[in-house]
Amino acid sequence: MLKSLTRAVNIAARFTNKAPGATVARCAEPLVRSALCAPTSATTARPFTRSIWMMCSGGADRRATLLASKHTLPSCGCGGLHTEGDKAFVEFLSDEIKEEKKIQKTKTLPKMSGGWELELNGTEAKLTRDLSGEKVTVTFNVNNSIPPNMEEEPEQGQKSEDNEPDIVSSPNFVIEVTKKGAKNSLVFDCHFPEDEIGHGEGEEESDIFTIREVSFQPEGEEDWKETSYTLNTDSLDWALYDHLMDFLADRGVDNTFADELIELSTALEHQEYIKFLEDLNGFIKCQ
Amino acid sequence: MVLLLRNLQNVVPIRRARLRKDVETLKRILGVQRFDMGIVCVDDRKIQHINNIYRKRNMPTDVLSFPFYEDLKPGRLPCALHRDEYNLGDIFLGVEYVMQQCQERSCDFQGTLTVIAAHGICHLLGYRHETEEEWAEMFQKEHYILHEFNRLTGSHLEPLTKRCTGDRRYWKDCSEDTGLESKESKTIIPT
Repeated sequence: MLKSLTRAVNIAARFTNKAPGATVARCAEPLVRSALCAPTSATTARPFTRSIWMMCSGGADRRATLLASKHTLPSCGCGGLHTEGDKAFVEFLSDEIKEEKKIQKTKTLPKMSGGWELELNGTEAKLTRDLSGEKVTVTFNVNNSIPPNMEEEPEQGQKSEDNEPDIVSSPNFVIEVTKKGAKNSLVFDCHFPEDEIGHGEGEEESDIFTIREVSFQPEGEEDWKETSYTLNTDSLDWALYDHLMDFLADRGVDNTFADELIELSTALEHQEYIKFLEDLNGFIKCQ
Repeated sequence: MVLLLRNLQNVVPIRRARLRKDVETLKRILGVQRFDMGIVCVDDRKIQHINNIYRKRNMPTDVLSFPFYEDLKPGRLPCALHRDEYNLGDIFLGVEYVMQQCQERSCDFQGTLTVIAAHGICHLLGYRHETEEEWAEMFQKEHYILHEFNRLTGSHLEPLTKRCTGDRRYWKDCSEDTGLESKESKTIIPT
């Protein structure tokens, strides 16, 4: 009952990535302009600047043509090829980077409220907080943290980039609670549920985040020790689950934290994406 | 049997274990432990949205009930034949709205949430307050439930509509007095 009801009463578009053709055309412009409709004045929207790689599978022939058109010999001392295709690729990347930077909300990452300290290691982020003898660590990785598109074809004539939801990074995250006197840390494997979208008006039916597994693990270990008993919450007593959620809330991991984590992860993911594009650009240019 | 608890908001901290325990106690008092039920905690924005969709009232409120059985006679338990029919429905608690009201009146939030949940469960069981007779019947039920709850837990909870006792007014007028009641009916029949 709740399932059907909650689906019916909200338009939750967090994971409904629609794909207006206009934006696709803009993003694909350097390579597939003629194949798609003419570019419009659509403003930059991240979902489709990336999804073009998935969407233009039919463009393989075109790319092959570009590469095959001229067999360029190395033109600098780097020892690598520099084809016309590379040149087009670099131009594309430069435009892409420019657009991505334009939509980047801020160069600095958003701060988490509640006195969390952030430590970054590439795509991995670690948030730490000490409170009265306990240490709480939350770790997440922005790789593969964007839910797959549940795309729907836009209605004809609808070119509303305004309707495009932003890309949201909602990574799985691991919470480690360490007590001074305890032998092991209590570790929670948490995630952001991907709700199915109901017919008509969709409704998110799940909590903002949920605990998937709970286990005792040696402190600071990166790998999950499989020999430790792991409590799976799928078949858990609901009251126990609620106590675990309250336990986390008392340590600053609540819905507010989860929302802020999504903001942080989204900003970090975007930052890393831009950095990747810049590295790719540099690699193709071979500078 | 299952009490599904969902917290979809981040405005008000919810003690989930306490809320579950209190609602389970209410269910026991009413003899409906074997029925499933959903409790969804939402903020003003969401409950206003739901209120607007189902009741065309574009304003936040404290509670909206969505009974599984639409035409229950108050006081009679649903006659469920199959396992999936052991379902009372869902209650949306406008916890942000409730918290605001509690702060204005210096009420205990958790206790008030229990009172409002009791009100919502009564709606799931077919109680209404469209007329004076209905209101009196519902008030009596709420009074009984909370009296039992107080006896079992040592609390001092009172029904939402208490201040209207003895009045010849209908519930809609009562809402002005009780504060915690918004100005419209709380029972929604989902489409």
